[in-house]
Amino acid sequence: MKLQIPHTGIVLLIGPSNSGKSTFLKDLLMKKVIMTSEVVSSDDFRLMVSDIDFVELKNRSKDESDALQDLYKRISIEAFALMDTVVEARCRLNKLTFVDATHLQHGDRKKYIDIARRNHVPIVAIVMNIPEDILLTRDSNRDQPRGIRRVKQQYLRFIKERKSFKDEGFSLIYYIDEYESPSIVRRKNPLELNVGEGIDFIGDINGCYNEMILLLSKLGYRENDMGLFIHLNGRKFVSIGNVIGSGPESLKSIIFLKRHVDNNLAYMVDSSNGFEIANWINEETKSMNIAPKLASDFESYKIEYGIEKLEELKEELKQFLFNSPSHYVFTENGVQIAVGTHAGIKDHYIGKQSPRISDFCRSGDNSSEEWYLEHKTNLLIVWGHYLKQHPLIENNTVNINQGAVYGGNLTAFRYPEREVVSIKSAMNYSGEEKNPLIELESKRLVPPNIHKLIDGYRIQTESFGSILVYPDLVRHAIETVSHSTIPIEQMVYIPPTTSPTPYTSKLDCYLEHPGEAFDYYRSNGVSTMIAMKKNMGSRGVLFLFKDIESAVKYTGIESLGIIYSSNGSRFFEEKVERILVSRIVSDLVENNYFKKYETDFVLIDVEIMPWNIKAKEQISLYSNVSESAILDRSKLMEKMMFLKNPKLQGWIDEYNAMLENAKKFKKVFQDYGVQDEEMGEIQIESLYIIAHSGKAFFDKPQTWHIEMGRELASYSSLFIETEFKLVNDVESETGVIEWWKEIACNGFEGIVIKPDLYINDSELKIYQPAIKVRGRDFLRIVYGMDYLLPDNLKRLKKRKTSKKQKQAINEFSLGVEGIRRFVAGESLERVHECVLGVLAQQADQVDPRL
Amino acid sequence: MISYMQLSIKATGENAQVVSHLLAKNPNNIYERNQKGHLVRMFYTKFSETEIEATIFVTPNTFEIIKTSSSKNQMTNYINNREFVVSSIFCTLVRPSLGTALNGQPHEDYLCWVNYKFQFEFSFGPVVSDMSEDKILELFEPLAFQTEIMRHETTMFINLKGETTLQIGLRQIFLLIPVLDNYKHYYIDKKEIEKVERYGEGWLDKHPLRDFILQRSLRFKEVFQNLELRSKKERRVSLEDFRHEKIVKLVSCIEPRNSIVDFGSKDGKLSLRLGFVKGIEEILAVDTSQSLTLRAVKRFEKAAQKADFITPTSTWGSLVYFNEKLLNKDVMIINEVINNTEQRSPKVFETIFNKYKPKMLILTTNKINYDWCRDLGVNYGYSNSSDEYEGEMICIFSRNEESV
Repeated sequence: MKLQIPHTGIVLLIGPSNSGKSTFLKDLLMKKVIMTSEVVSSDDFRLMVSDIDFVELKNRSKDESDALQDLYKRISIEAFALMDTVVEARCRLNKLTFVDATHLQHGDRKKYIDIARRNHVPIVAIVMNIPEDILLTRDSNRDQPRGIRRVKQQYLRFIKERKSFKDEGFSLIYYIDEYESPSIVRRKNPLELNVGEGIDFIGDINGCYNEMILLLSKLGYRENDMGLFIHLNGRKFVSIGNVIGSGPESLKSIIFLKRHVDNNLAYMVDSSNGFEIANWINEETKSMNIAPKLASDFESYKIEYGIEKLEELKEELKQFLFNSPSHYVFTENGVQIAVGTHAGIKDHYIGKQSPRISDFCRSGDNSSEEWYLEHKTNLLIVWGHYLKQHPLIENNTVNINQGAVYGGNLTAFRYPEREVVSIKSAMNYSGEEKNPLIELESKRLVPPNIHKLIDGYRIQTESFGSILVYPDLVRHAIETVSHSTIPIEQMVYIPPTTSPTPYTSKLDCYLEHPGEAFDYYRSNGVSTMIAMKKNMGSRGVLFLFKDIESAVKYTGIESLGIIYSSNGSRFFEEKVERILVSRIVSDLVENNYFKKYETDFVLIDVEIMPWNIKAKEQISLYSNVSESAILDRSKLMEKMMFLKNPKLQGWIDEYNAMLENAKKFKKVFQDYGVQDEEMGEIQIESLYIIAHSGKAFFDKPQTWHIEMGRELASYSSLFIETEFKLVNDVESETGVIEWWKEIACNGFEGIVIKPDLYINDSELKIYQPAIKVRGRDFLRIVYGMDYLLPDNLKRLKKRKTSKKQKQAINEFSLGVEGIRRFVAGESLERVHECVLGVLAQQADQVDPRL
Repeated sequence: MISYMQLSIKATGENAQVVSHLLAKNPNNIYERNQKGHLVRMFYTKFSETEIEATIFVTPNTFEIIKTSSSKNQMTNYINNREFVVSSIFCTLVRPSLGTALNGQPHEDYLCWVNYKFQFEFSFGPVVSDMSEDKILELFEPLAFQTEIMRHETTMFINLKGETTLQIGLRQIFLLIPVLDNYKHYYIDKKEIEKVERYGEGWLDKHPLRDFILQRSLRFKEVFQNLELRSKKERRVSLEDFRHEKIVKLVSCIEPRNSIVDFGSKDGKLSLRLGFVKGIEEILAVDTSQSLTLRAVKRFEKAAQKADFITPTSTWGSLVYFNEKLLNKDVMIINEVINNTEQRSPKVFETIFNKYKPKMLILTTNKINYDWCRDLGVNYGYSNSSDEYEGEMICIFSRNEESV
């Protein structure tokens, strides 16, 4: 006799002493069918807790015997408590456990049935059905006999209880007679599948047969002679359910799926629609609204193939739908890496089966569709059911139901590539008056819920892992946004801060030097860099629309555009902004910019000159500082020199150098000049084109951004071209160093060095998006006019930039993610989460001189 | 290292050389003292029977100053002119070095010279002041100083000539430098202020600008701080109080008024008053400021001991974000929140009228914004009335029954 044993759960052996339970297990262990760790026995645990495994009551006085019985009871309580803990832990971990004890009391069995149910694992009973005389014979032969009275008692209890086993809730019961020496067959987890050559998850089809075929073709599946779609590389596709729905060809779609599953080319999981249809075919439910055309499809089928064939088909489909599992777990080298489910799953359900799990996977969490917020592990979960306008990538989960049946997209998610591939559906097939996709779009701009943000949150970026936004920082940011920033609908991107070189210069008389920036990027595998002149301006963002309608579509605000600072506040006063925006937009429209790039808007990261627009006050302060310093130092010098006191020579030397410093300092900011805030003076340098409709440009090389900047400058006199140099060898490095020295003498802040490509695709390494190297004299207005004095420089060289660097990378990553969400048309809340994250990073205190 | 400022003390006439004893500094040496990381230095440029000139200055450690600056992320914090000009900081640093002179406690052989009037010339700078030259003259001339102001672009040197004792001359200068400076004396503790006060003995009360001097040099002394602030506050408070009173009165006659939302509750003053209004069962005090909310909570806790007080509940929120706790309340108050609507999107009122749907909305704002919100309210089925006070509007929107 071969016993089928599931891959997980509890196997309860039931039978009186001497019925052969331990012998049976010993035999399995010897044959190495099971492992010792898979067996727990109450005898072992008694021994473990008390050093005693058997209490001999024979030849004892009554008092002794009573006391020993009490002791045995206590030992048993402890032993079972420990054993049950072990059994339950193994159930949680989805392991198989054989429990070796008599289990003659109803309560003993119920306890394990409850454990199994609680942990969504099966429980199998193996009942040792041995006659009394054999039990007695065996007992008399053993080393420590239980005694006739006890064996008889146990047998009586066994006979009495045996009748009710079948009603107690076991998944399966095997009865073993005295003649049998059974062996077992261990089943594999039916939910586990190998990733193999790759998996293509397919979102909710809902009867959109044509779209499904188009999508499979796009994914590289080709139809063979048998009408089966096969991938050349051996990939398989996985439907995450709802194949049947209100689309035009539900029956055709489900037959297609079934054929591919039968031929081991595809998989399908259980789903809300699938389950409802199966019940409907089973005539358990009379009415069915989810697939209005299915009944007439069956009718046509009957006309074409006859009633018998139809009944056959219905039966097959019913079995197919009822037997599809709640979810699949895909493994690679025996490790679970991805899950496909219809509406969602809880982490502790993964790889397990139970009615509760099926229900959850089919219809999700009744209280919230945001079950994925609870997902804590690195396992990828692909799901659908809930309609999302765009594939929602959150917390290592991907929603791929983009409403093909409502005229949206049929989405596929490729694994391990983690790519989204989709087909725009031909029309809204649903015939429903309220199109849920349009409803969702109308909700896109609803204000973000403060409770999701205020206590801090984690942002899952697609490219840079997850970033934690701390509560105390986010509260600062929320306060800022509530009081002083532009409307959040327009604030879709905040430029990241720029870090100076990670190490200070190795050279004696420099604090910052381009050499360290080159070293940094080269050590990160970047071979081509761009050095750009850093203008003395203020960082800002231009968000411009081709017309008011487009602006309303994206932001809900009737405004052609906005210009804001890197802290989210309006850059100019509104009157000036309106004039600037309309001037630039009309320049762009005139030159067909929006048409050429097929975009409704352009979002640009810019530097706005002159510097003094934002820094008038600062400049007057600097001028004051320099005059005072020169006055003070020259007066003191005069007095000290007059005296010709050799004791003063030290101070004279010191002040001589300091007076020079003060004069150099004066020259630095004088070159920046104070200009009036007239618009004629305003110049805008485009640093990065961040996005157009539906497209982000973080993947473009720096040279492309510069070229685009040049194009803008040719369209509008407000824009200026960027001066830059390419760095790719020692010679060009030397050239850039000379250039840097030259620039720094001419009233510029210094240079910024950027990798030509933001992201190193092959290694997926993140590095600084840019590094600034400020001029030697410019740094006087940052670190004080005397910062180059040896003692000062020595101290400054110990400055720490790691926090600033971390900030720059986090802000950049959040910016990329926010824009990814924005161009994908995701909700304001989802975009704002990233923007607020950057503002929160800004609220973190970092040395402002860096 | 950078120099702060300098002060030269010149005395001429017979016995001028005694001044070096009053200063307790040997004219043959140069003097240097480390004061809180900065170097206070002094040397003599002239020394004879009848003429003596000493210059005292500070070579500060800039980095120390940067470390102590309190606010963040502002360029202005790491370059500032505090280091270069005459300031209260200078006085604080130099005072110990001139202690003997200021306290009039030289070696006993010279005690008799403490009250001796020399012909002095004090010169100090650079000075940057928000005071006009005339005002500066008014400051020094009554002290019998012949005052000369030498301008160098935006800064100046001040030269004072007159017959006085070293002690009084220095005390006057040390008291008036902070007046010129008008700098918030973050670094000066209470003890030092008392010292400064002592320097005014015997002359300050007669000075025509006495009050002005006290206000500016002693702004941190509690008496003056309170004196000064009270009058300002009173004006501000009265308007705020008036508004609160008006709102409380309004709310007291609204039916129903079980649940109230105080949007932009700030430090909780209005919510506190509402806590005593009969018929109110729930008050939500909504704000995004951590510090203000904390103050509000303290205020509520204090009042909670009183009878008939409903403790308001603080919750995070602003017009930019959605907070489901604010849905469907009886009265929503938006007091002094909407001042610059152009910065905000129309979504704000859509959220209020279309989502939060209070039965009644009380809004205080200016006239321009009122016109704007009124139209929005009508679209969502709210009728309104308003009241004007000193250019401010108190508007009441009530939800029409049929739109409930």
